[in-house]
Amino acid sequence: MLLSVQGLRKSFNGRNVLEGVDFSVAAGELVAFLGANGSGKSTTLRCVMGITSPDSGSIRIDGAALDSLQGRELQQTRQRMAMIFQKIHLVPRRTALDNVCAGALSRIPTVRSLTPLLFPADVQQEALDCLDRVGLADRAFDRVGRLSGGQQQRVAVARALCQRADVVLADEPVSALDPHAAEQVMALLRELAHSEGLAVAAVLHQPDLALRYADRSIGLLQGSMTFDLPSTEITAEHLDTLYAPDRNPSVDRTQAA
Amino acid sequence: MTPHTLTPAVVRRGSSAQTRVALIRPKKPLRWITTAAVAAAVVGLHAVAIEGTDFKPELLVDGWKGMAAFIGDAFPPDLSWEKTLKPGLEATLVTLWIGLLGTTLSVPFALLLAALAAENTSPHRLVYQAARAVLSFFRAVPDIVFALIFVTAVGLGPFAGVLALICHNTGVMGKLWAESMEEIDAGPQEALRTAGANRIQQVANATLPMVVPQFVGLLLYRFDVNVRSSLVLGLVGAGGIGLLINQSIKSFQFDSMLTHILIVLVLIIVVDQFSAWIRRRLAA
Repeated sequence: MLLSVQGLRKSFNGRNVLEGVDFSVAAGELVAFLGANGSGKSTTLRCVMGITSPDSGSIRIDGAALDSLQGRELQQTRQRMAMIFQKIHLVPRRTALDNVCAGALSRIPTVRSLTPLLFPADVQQEALDCLDRVGLADRAFDRVGRLSGGQQQRVAVARALCQRADVVLADEPVSALDPHAAEQVMALLRELAHSEGLAVAAVLHQPDLALRYADRSIGLLQGSMTFDLPSTEITAEHLDTLYAPDRNPSVDRTQAA
Repeated sequence: MTPHTLTPAVVRRGSSAQTRVALIRPKKPLRWITTAAVAAAVVGLHAVAIEGTDFKPELLVDGWKGMAAFIGDAFPPDLSWEKTLKPGLEATLVTLWIGLLGTTLSVPFALLLAALAAENTSPHRLVYQAARAVLSFFRAVPDIVFALIFVTAVGLGPFAGVLALICHNTGVMGKLWAESMEEIDAGPQEALRTAGANRIQQVANATLPMVVPQFVGLLLYRFDVNVRSSLVLGLVGAGGIGLLINQSIKSFQFDSMLTHILIVLVLIIVVDQFSAWIRRRLAA
């Protein structure tokens, strides 16, 4: 397993957000996280990414536990993971190519990264190749702010590729996109997993997208996993437990507690 | 759930066939008292301020003759080319150059201090506090005081004015820039951090390019202000049209003074229009 996570726990101000989450993502696999708002999907990804530090739990990349690594080795292992954000988080005034180059900053000396004019030629070529892989090589010199939302998210994917990440964590990558663009981005993520062997974990708000694009879906309810199944085996009952918990008497009791 | 302290505003009345939500505003008895207290405090402060500034409108009424004589002397403005217009225009250009250099030469200092004094780009809490303190100092000392200090160092003339504006403008622009960096969307910077970029790389490739429009807008605004400030600096000997206005008042040539003021008016309008034009183009 390229990414494996065990016993992930996190609480904010005494409120348990994650109560022991275990999952893994293999190379070449797209895994979807489903759950209502506040179920801990995004916190899971942010803990794995290291944006939020978990209270406990182990995270392994390609077998190497992150908490056993230090310094440069830890940094290099962490960089095998890249994050895609709901709000895309590109710099709108810069070109698509310059934004993609920024994914490679950790490989560029600081003095050569002060302005895009100084970015090394090989990095720029690699960034262009990454844009080509997401189908946007022809827009390389357009300002990102002039691209559509779907195109911007694909540029963000190209930035993750330029980081040379083999684990991609996508936090609601299509929530801000129109349905057509959402399909395009999901198809791109699936293709990157299947044909380039990336391990992709995506938090999704639309179960139908998960069922159609993800190889496996994981359901989260109040910080605990309720299912981890191939998407073909997910039924309407599974989804009901996530999004309509008040219809489920066993959950009612935990809410009252 | 925290208990609500207010009485619930929604009460249903009437038969089951026709119910309506009754409008009952929650009562807040303290609101009247606080409003009255604030009003009383504001009125009281103004009374003290009127006392403290010898604010006596009747003096203005009694002194109308002096003002009328002053304005009468100023009209018509002196439009002689050699004596007033030519030196006035030349000095106005000097004023413009003082404002320009005072703004642009403070950019590197303001940029560095702003990056150190913004919470999201500062490398350390102590550096942040120190940079804030430096900016506060340069902002607190008025440019006219800097001008007086530099006049003693480099002598009377526009150079002292440029140095004074560089110092004061560094303080003001550094603060404004730091604030606009703090207000910027932190997302792109966070994205680069997760990609393994170091602090300098994050600032150079996310934070700074994000704030360029705000920075340029503030820079133009400061240019506008600095051109006007350099007029006042002329009054204390730092060159430019302010110096000429001061001289014409001291030698009772109020008609020349009026000409100079009219030239200044044109300069201010031109600078204002210019910066408005640039800002419009930036916004587009």
